[in-house]
Amino acid sequence: MSETGFFTDTTLCIGCKACEVACKQWNELPSDGFAFTGESYDNTSQLSGTTWRHVAFVEQVAIEPAAPSPIVEKWLMMSDVCKHCTNAGCQEACPTGAIVKNEFGNVYVQPDVCNGCGYCVVSCPFGVIDLIDPIDDERKFSVATLSESRRDANQTAIQKSGGVAGKCTLCYDRQKIGETPACAKACPTESIQFGVLDELRERAAERVASLAERGVDAHLYGADDVGGGIGSLNAFFLLTDRPEVYNLPVEPVLPSTRQPAGYTAAAGAAIALALAGWAIFRSR
Amino acid sequence: MPGLGTSFGRGGATSYVQDLQHADCILIEGSNFAEAHPVAFRFVMKAKERGATVVHVDPRFTRTSALADVYVALRSGSDIAFLGGIVNWVLQNERYFRAYVVAYTNASYLVREDFRDTEDLAGLFSGFDERAKAYDRESWGFERAPDGGIVRDETLAHPRCVINVLRKHFSRYTPEMVERVCGVSQAQFAQVCETLARNSGRERTTAFAYAVGWTQHTVGVQYIRTAAILQLLLGNIGRPGGGIMALRGHANIQGATDIATLYDLLPGYLAMPSTGKDEQTLAAYLRTNARAGWWEHFPAYVVSLLKAFYGDAATAENDYCFDYLPQCTGDHSTLPTQIAMKDGIVKGYFVIGQNPAASGQNGAMINAGFERLDWMVNVDAYETETASFWKREGADPSRIATECFFIPAATILEKSGTMVNTNRLLQWHDQAIEPLGESVTDARFIHALGKRLKELYAGSTDPKDRPLLDMTWDYGDDDEPSTLRVLQEINGYDTRTGEQLRSFVDLRDDGSTAAGAWIYTGVCPDAQTNNARARAGDDAAALGWGWAWPANRRMLYNRASAAPDGAPWSERKRYVWWDEAAGAWGGDDVADVVPGARPGSDDQAFLMQSDGRGALFVPESGLLDGPFPTHYEPSASVVDNALYPQQSNPTMRTWRRADNREPAGVDPQYPHVLTTYRITEMSGIMTRYVPWLAELQPAAFCEIDPQLAVEQGIASGDTVTVSTALGELECKALVSGRMRPLRIGGKRVHTVGVPYNYGALGLARGDSAGRLIPLVMDPNVSIHESKSLTCAIRRGPRANRET
Amino acid sequence: MNPTYYDRPVLKAPHWGWNVVTYLFLGGITGGLGIVAALADPKTPSGRRLRKTARIASLVVATANPPILISHLGRPERFLHMLRTFKPGSPMSLGVWGLVAYSTAAAASIMIEDDRLTALQAILGAYLAGYTGVLLSATAVPLWAAGKAHIPAACVCSGVASACALASAISSLTGNAEAVGKLERLEQVATAGEAVILIHFNASGGPRVRRFVGRVAAPVALSLVAGLVHVPERHRRLRTLLASALTLTAGYLFRNALIEVGKRSTTDPQAGFRQPR
Repeated sequence: MSETGFFTDTTLCIGCKACEVACKQWNELPSDGFAFTGESYDNTSQLSGTTWRHVAFVEQVAIEPAAPSPIVEKWLMMSDVCKHCTNAGCQEACPTGAIVKNEFGNVYVQPDVCNGCGYCVVSCPFGVIDLIDPIDDERKFSVATLSESRRDANQTAIQKSGGVAGKCTLCYDRQKIGETPACAKACPTESIQFGVLDELRERAAERVASLAERGVDAHLYGADDVGGGIGSLNAFFLLTDRPEVYNLPVEPVLPSTRQPAGYTAAAGAAIALALAGWAIFRSR
Repeated sequence: MPGLGTSFGRGGATSYVQDLQHADCILIEGSNFAEAHPVAFRFVMKAKERGATVVHVDPRFTRTSALADVYVALRSGSDIAFLGGIVNWVLQNERYFRAYVVAYTNASYLVREDFRDTEDLAGLFSGFDERAKAYDRESWGFERAPDGGIVRDETLAHPRCVINVLRKHFSRYTPEMVERVCGVSQAQFAQVCETLARNSGRERTTAFAYAVGWTQHTVGVQYIRTAAILQLLLGNIGRPGGGIMALRGHANIQGATDIATLYDLLPGYLAMPSTGKDEQTLAAYLRTNARAGWWEHFPAYVVSLLKAFYGDAATAENDYCFDYLPQCTGDHSTLPTQIAMKDGIVKGYFVIGQNPAASGQNGAMINAGFERLDWMVNVDAYETETASFWKREGADPSRIATECFFIPAATILEKSGTMVNTNRLLQWHDQAIEPLGESVTDARFIHALGKRLKELYAGSTDPKDRPLLDMTWDYGDDDEPSTLRVLQEINGYDTRTGEQLRSFVDLRDDGSTAAGAWIYTGVCPDAQTNNARARAGDDAAALGWGWAWPANRRMLYNRASAAPDGAPWSERKRYVWWDEAAGAWGGDDVADVVPGARPGSDDQAFLMQSDGRGALFVPESGLLDGPFPTHYEPSASVVDNALYPQQSNPTMRTWRRADNREPAGVDPQYPHVLTTYRITEMSGIMTRYVPWLAELQPAAFCEIDPQLAVEQGIASGDTVTVSTALGELECKALVSGRMRPLRIGGKRVHTVGVPYNYGALGLARGDSAGRLIPLVMDPNVSIHESKSLTCAIRRGPRANRET
Repeated sequence: MNPTYYDRPVLKAPHWGWNVVTYLFLGGITGGLGIVAALADPKTPSGRRLRKTARIASLVVATANPPILISHLGRPERFLHMLRTFKPGSPMSLGVWGLVAYSTAAAASIMIEDDRLTALQAILGAYLAGYTGVLLSATAVPLWAAGKAHIPAACVCSGVASACALASAISSLTGNAEAVGKLERLEQVATAGEAVILIHFNASGGPRVRRFVGRVAAPVALSLVAGLVHVPERHRRLRTLLASALTLTAGYLFRNALIEVGKRSTTDPQAGFRQPR
């Protein structure tokens, strides 16, 4: 089976958030809360255990000395998602084996195996995965949207997974029946493209070239190895500005690569203390 | 609608959204296309990929602007000055498509000698009656030859030929004037003009797209007229990648106007008879509305409609029950009705899928009006602010006598029927699930109501009850009607055989045909076929997907894509053309020609017009406020009209009363321009209750520019109050450089933007923008002015906590 | 300074609180006690008594620890899922198995006297004391990632010091005076080692490292000083108990600071853009 993934082309994004909504609807995810942030049109702010697609908005001001007020000339919009790393920090950290690579090469959390230890949360270099809070507020989900079996229990599918880790599944359930992931399906401008990874990469390279011809400076994030031991990203992006602008790390690192140094140092300390201890306890 | 109707002959978008991908340039103005029509916006994106230039002109830098190649910040309410300036530039620089203009428009017609333009009369046209605030439009006509025909000058030299009167009319709309009135720099203005002109003509086409940013003004209809004039001059109407895309807002609003939820129309855009005209008998009515051109078939449409309404009871002897039809006694549109309700004149109210308390204007008056009703019936999927007006904050139910009924309504997935979108395309949708709980479909409600009323009045001998008893109501025995039968009746059938009709050319005025709406004839051409269900798509006009009126034609006026001799203006822009060998019109779409017409025998590119031509000058009975568009300031403006002493539309309708306060002239208390709009994430109450929509935009907010924010000490997230002479609105502030202060007439003007999506109920809540907007109306279609007002803004909550 | 996204951090904060802190603390002690048990000289009565004390104390703590750890899980009833797979590449997986192995060895060594079993328990104990440091530094949390060598080494030293402190308190109260002296000396060596590591960490790290070291400097210094002050014979027991209390407190505060300052470091909007290797 060939690996699948997402190519998210931010130059086609109109910031409509259909992806964010389609994902929530398909996966019966609750809302994260109703707080007005005043941060452009972004009131959901980040990916979370129950927000698996998040649209970011960055207003960029042109410096115009004559203008009395800073003028926005560009408005970047980008649909963020789990990167489905080739070498995934969350997967390597997971002690129960709940996080696996499925047959499509996507990183998948098995919600019935996860015991909510939260180790994956701190092991993701992109700050994607998080634990799912038990839902405290009935307003956060809509009973009418639940399937019948869950309507009686007044509970979303995700609520049954309260306490476990949640992130984009690349719509594993939809892929298994030959369907396109919900976000890609809903995206009206095909900013989110789903498909076989090799094809997506080819298409992305062509897109960068054609944009360059038009004078648009774009680059790919994650089509190739991002460094730090992570490898390439199955969900990669076309960006028109630095990664930090989109809240993406410029130099992400696969955390498990730090283990050798740690074990060596710990062993060294243990040996030193053992020797000192031997001298203290066994000398005559 | 009349803007397009009077210019071209039909009041609808001239093309279909898919065709936008063939444009070389797209001007989006009076529209936030990407946010309000994200799915249709795909085709603008496709055009971009093919190298088209996308220009967005708007008071705010929106998500549409972010994807446009050129963004022009323009003062809300000044579009006629802007577009008129472009018309002026096109004429001065001779950049119009001359061959097209001469052949397909009334540019060459001579205007009557006694016609006076706004240049002559300080901002008025001839015939203005100051007392009535209305025009006697007789002088707005053409010079007639002795034989009754219109005098023309095809050389376009005569000073009174339309194009020269037009030239004079817009002569002061110079780049300097545009800069002064609109706040658009001369450099940017020149860029837009050049871009449009460069992308028009034989080889290239430009499309316009607009929405309520253009229509919701006291001169809204004239905004569209200016665009129509410009597109006719540039030769873009009826051409692939051209046209004017009126982007209708609601998924079925096209269907709603087609089948006449407007008070002054009967289905198929037939005029509702009125006591103000000589229309009290069928003969008089037909005479009053007779027009040359295709409208000579008007009697067939009317009689067929009456047969559909009253069936066998409608005969030639009783004028097909014409006198059963109610007659308008005045303006019964929403705003006057709202006033009447407040004044206690209206006793009962059916509110079906509408929420005036949140989305109407002057919310306080609306709620007060509800309290004076004897009864109100709400049919809705949600308990809206309207349905719950009697328990709103500050209301005392013990003092409200209105008897309120609430019928829970089924939603789109729980019923079958059609939707008609902005492409004039009928698409059937099936019922996916049974209505939940006790909710009922609208169709069932109306059908059951009709049945019960008929039972109630059965056996009555009172003549006033005859319309109800004679009304045909055979959509099935159950309370739930067959929606297919409704559509079939709308399509029309032969009353003798019961067979469905295939085309509106088959309609007769002798009672042998019945049709609920002649424009839809052809959607159900026989008992087995429902073309609205068709789903055979393709990359061209996709005639096999759904069914568009009229006659499944996708692009209107497409005759104009070919020259008078029938050959396409260019290979690159061919659409329909005369195929001599086949003796017919070729192309992927249904040619918009009189059946059987050959080129040369007609110059009927706009065959629904009485003279077959696109109207640069709209004569006599067309529009109430002018044959040409004129820049008038909105009813509430921050500046005086720089072009004329006449400040605002002289024929606009206002109600100066204590419960409808407006500022008196330019009022320094309200120094900012206020504009309202909708955002992608929300529509109305039905989105406010969806958690994953509510969290996207959880609170009512306003958008202001950073300089205004600094002056008022406001930061993003602060609670602020926006106020107009009518009322106050409390919301969160969003400070953004996407809002720009403009230099208008030498002074700095800020714009405050307020989304119209909020109400007191829901997970995402807030004050409704209707609190701020008084009733002011355009004269032609009675539309409200919500796009350009004036306001003040300050930090802090609103003073009145009660309502 | 990089542009940020509305000053929102890239990384997610840990959901760990007092239960994880306590687990780390007790884990260090139980592992350290395994080392102490191996070091105790079986040829002397004091050493044999110490060995027994250390083994029992270690087993008790090792048994008390898992419920504390389990209480932090989002789904505590699924704790056994951690035993459905063995992933040596995951410090947490290896650690769980290590704890199981250690507890087994600790229980066995109470019943069976065997040099190799004793040595095994010591090695597993050293692993238990140090692996938690590796667990922390093998994450994206900026404070922990900055100390990939320092934190595991400091954990080992702290664990051994805390183990000695507990063992010396018990020995003092049960009259094993000879053991107390030796334990105190090892405790001081371990604490000194910890101090050296922290000083080096402080010098090589950035502001958040310094903030962390700042929080633990006083407790560690106090516990070091307490052991060095000369007191007359009759106050020895009191001094032992006090010094043990200080060392144990320092050990707890060390883990607490790691978690709390670590959490804070994830909220720095600049921290996630360039991650240390």
